[in-house]
Amino acid sequence: MSGKKPYDPFESIHKLSLMWEKQINDFIYLWTDNKEYMKMSNVGTEINSRYLDALKKNQEALASVLNLPTKNDVANVASLTIQAEEKIEALEEQIWGLQDTMKTQSKDIESVVEVSKEIIKLTKQLKTELVKTKKEQIDTKELHAELQEMKFEIMKLTNFKEEFESLKGLIEKDKGVERELAGSGTSK
Amino acid sequence: MATETPFKGLIPEFDYQKEMDRWANVFKLLSEPDPKVGQTPRNEIWRKNKSVLWHYPAKQKKYAIPLFFVYSLFNKPYILDIDPQKSVIKNLNDMGYEVYLLDWGTPGYEDKKIGIDTYIDKYLKTAVKRAVRHSGAEEITLVGYCLGGTIASIYASIAEEPIKNLIVATVPIDFTTFVGPEKWADALKNGDFNLDHFLDVYGVVPPKYVEMMFRAVGAPIYFTNYTMLLNRAHDQRYVEKWRRMNKWTLDQVPFTGEAYKQLGNDLVRDNKLIKGEFLVGNKPADLKNIRANLFVISGSRDNLVLEEQSKPIMDLVSSEDKTYLCVESGHVGLALSGLFAGIVDQWASSRSNPLFK
Repeated sequence: MSGKKPYDPFESIHKLSLMWEKQINDFIYLWTDNKEYMKMSNVGTEINSRYLDALKKNQEALASVLNLPTKNDVANVASLTIQAEEKIEALEEQIWGLQDTMKTQSKDIESVVEVSKEIIKLTKQLKTELVKTKKEQIDTKELHAELQEMKFEIMKLTNFKEEFESLKGLIEKDKGVERELAGSGTSK
Repeated sequence: MATETPFKGLIPEFDYQKEMDRWANVFKLLSEPDPKVGQTPRNEIWRKNKSVLWHYPAKQKKYAIPLFFVYSLFNKPYILDIDPQKSVIKNLNDMGYEVYLLDWGTPGYEDKKIGIDTYIDKYLKTAVKRAVRHSGAEEITLVGYCLGGTIASIYASIAEEPIKNLIVATVPIDFTTFVGPEKWADALKNGDFNLDHFLDVYGVVPPKYVEMMFRAVGAPIYFTNYTMLLNRAHDQRYVEKWRRMNKWTLDQVPFTGEAYKQLGNDLVRDNKLIKGEFLVGNKPADLKNIRANLFVISGSRDNLVLEEQSKPIMDLVSSEDKTYLCVESGHVGLALSGLFAGIVDQWASSRSNPLFK
């Protein structure tokens, strides 16, 4: 194949068509870009609308005599369906609201349960400590009784000591009398 | 493959292989069914009337704040997920974003009374609430494309929902500039051309009329897309892209009469959005109420929504964090090429509470 570009008729056709299209469209714009054309279009549209309006009214009148549903009747039924859809939608949104409230409430309940669990834990701890304290109290009482006993023993020992002291005094006295008696016997 | 001729140099060479490929692709295009679109996995979150809220889960969630897409009322939103290779939504999913998309659906005659305000108050607001609840996120990023951007901006100005970021692409906000011929704009603005009666009678504007309206404003006669296709039909990838684009362009949706009236009278004629006079329910939609981080994207080659129609929003909002970006793209090219995903990610990644730092 040589380096020359092969013949492509469609490229030329396309280039020509672009030119033609632009020229035709420019001509149409030139032809229609005026006030009169717009007024004429408006009249044309109005005639078309009035004709169609009259046709529709006659069709409605005939349909009502023959008891036939018209497009308007179908449209009315369709609008009822849309209304029903909107009501369901509103209900669904209310359910969403309730769901959200329930979620918030269950969260609150969960936090209350958490607090309650903490309280139960604390109560159990206090109970254990109370039992411990009671046991300690009993121990203390026993200690107290032992101390009382010891006190009593000490008191007893004190009495014994006093008796012992008085006995000691009596012995001392006896010894003095004996010595006196012995002294008087030798001087004679 | 090219043939050698005795008149080499006089008669241009002809690439037979290219021609065979071209016509084989054209034949395929004419005989094969429409290409598949919207292939990213999604779940339906909520449905009302014809509107559906879709959820596209992220491949691996990397951001706490999800993206909520609001598309135009004129076209179908599958342009955001048109090609698995270049899908805006799929790419964002791959980047770690949870994506929600509100598909307005195809309105019927019974929806003729649904205006832009009703779409915002009864559909968009509820959909955003649902998306926030479904995602479990505390805030959301609103992404509006084309008229969807206008709707998203109006909503953001009255929203009570937690909107952290607002991204609008190719968005018409200021309607002082009109893209069509000057006298058409004058006629629309001074009431010489009024469609109210027409809209009342029709109830909804048929899709063909919507297509004609766009054609009238852009190019009333349009056939170069077909010559362009013939010209590049030998390229399989281009043909695939063309088919998807063509399917989407022709797949217009009807426009409700009330919404059309509000668009034509309140937004285009009276420019109420700029003045803060557009009402949703009984609330005036004043853009200065928008405090969300704002990102505005325009296409330099967009001939449907001009830069000067989008830019004024920058001065009207009260947002402290606001960015404006003009990219080399047309009106649809941004979404069609998948470029939009990268642009959104670049801006939103730091503003969407990344989960892994």
